[in-house]
Amino acid sequence: MSMPEPATIPDANTPAGMLEGDLVKRARRGDLAAYDELVKRYQERIYATIYHMTGNHEDANDLTQEAFIKAYQALPSFKGGSSFYTWLYRIAINKTINFLKQRKNRHHFSLNDLDFNTEHNPDLVALISHKTPHRDAGLAELQKKLNEALFKLSEPHRMVVILHDVQGVSHEEIAEAMKCNIGTVRSRLFYARQQLQAHLAEYMQS
Amino acid sequence: MNANENNFETVRQLLKLKQHEVPPPGYFNHFSSQIISRIRAGEEGGTKTFMERLQITAPWLAGFLQIFETRPGIIGAFATSLCLVLGAGLFIAEQSDSAPKTAPVVAENTQPIMDSVTSASPAPLLAATDPSSGISVSTNPVLSLQPSANMFGQQNPLFQSASFATPVGR
Repeated sequence: MSMPEPATIPDANTPAGMLEGDLVKRARRGDLAAYDELVKRYQERIYATIYHMTGNHEDANDLTQEAFIKAYQALPSFKGGSSFYTWLYRIAINKTINFLKQRKNRHHFSLNDLDFNTEHNPDLVALISHKTPHRDAGLAELQKKLNEALFKLSEPHRMVVILHDVQGVSHEEIAEAMKCNIGTVRSRLFYARQQLQAHLAEYMQS
Repeated sequence: MNANENNFETVRQLLKLKQHEVPPPGYFNHFSSQIISRIRAGEEGGTKTFMERLQITAPWLAGFLQIFETRPGIIGAFATSLCLVLGAGLFIAEQSDSAPKTAPVVAENTQPIMDSVTSASPAPLLAATDPSSGISVSTNPVLSLQPSANMFGQQNPLFQSASFATPVGR
């Protein structure tokens, strides 16, 4: 009978075991190993945010890399007033907004594949159940329609609905990242959902 | 608000589909090392563009310039207004440069003064020369364009102070 391997506890002296604040301090001094750990911690969330805003894997890849590089270069100006993640998030969002402004309405979707668990998600299964008029619509088609509906929204509305309903970011954090008040976030969220509901009416359950 | 949340429950469920969109397998395995390599390459090469340097040193100015980049209409309006300001400046400068009527009168009046100055003093006396000492001494005021040796308490390096001590007993 084999003993289960003990869970490895990260050493507090290695970058993986360090707190965010310590990693930021070390990265500010030019410690690239510390910054590498910060990238590893937040790469997926930053990538996902940018990806959902651009609807394009290639652009998301470039912008995520640029956001991390810019954050490293701007680390000396990081005052520590907010968490490193919030600050990084703001850099990523601003970079993406500028990119989308330059790209204007030339949307090119390069959507990532849905993962294996999608078909087992009870909420999504319910959506394409027998009650749905388009019950023969596959998940891939639903994904395409959803993205098209999202890109009919204005950038601020799309951003709010993605950050809140997809990423699970709180109203307060969105307000901080987008430099607006919470009331604005709430009203944008309401309007964005209303618009999405109208665009996707045929996929909604009656 | 709660009723609204319930109304949008289907939309929220639909949006959960986005959470299942994932990048290609293994995408994040080497992502951080790519970024670190790019940072290293940037540090070694020092190939930061002007805009990149500006974004670090003066992010507000970089943001201001980015407005021009993203909205060509604004740069057109800015350039037009700049031209208008320059044109107005030139016009005002022209107006102020045009000679006023009183200017020649002043010039004419200054001439006799200069004449009287030059005629009042006779031809500059040559310095009295002491042939034995070889030192030239002059007590005449010299009206010249040479700057004074000491202006605003600063020593003029073109001038050298010299003292002329007369030998005792002569």
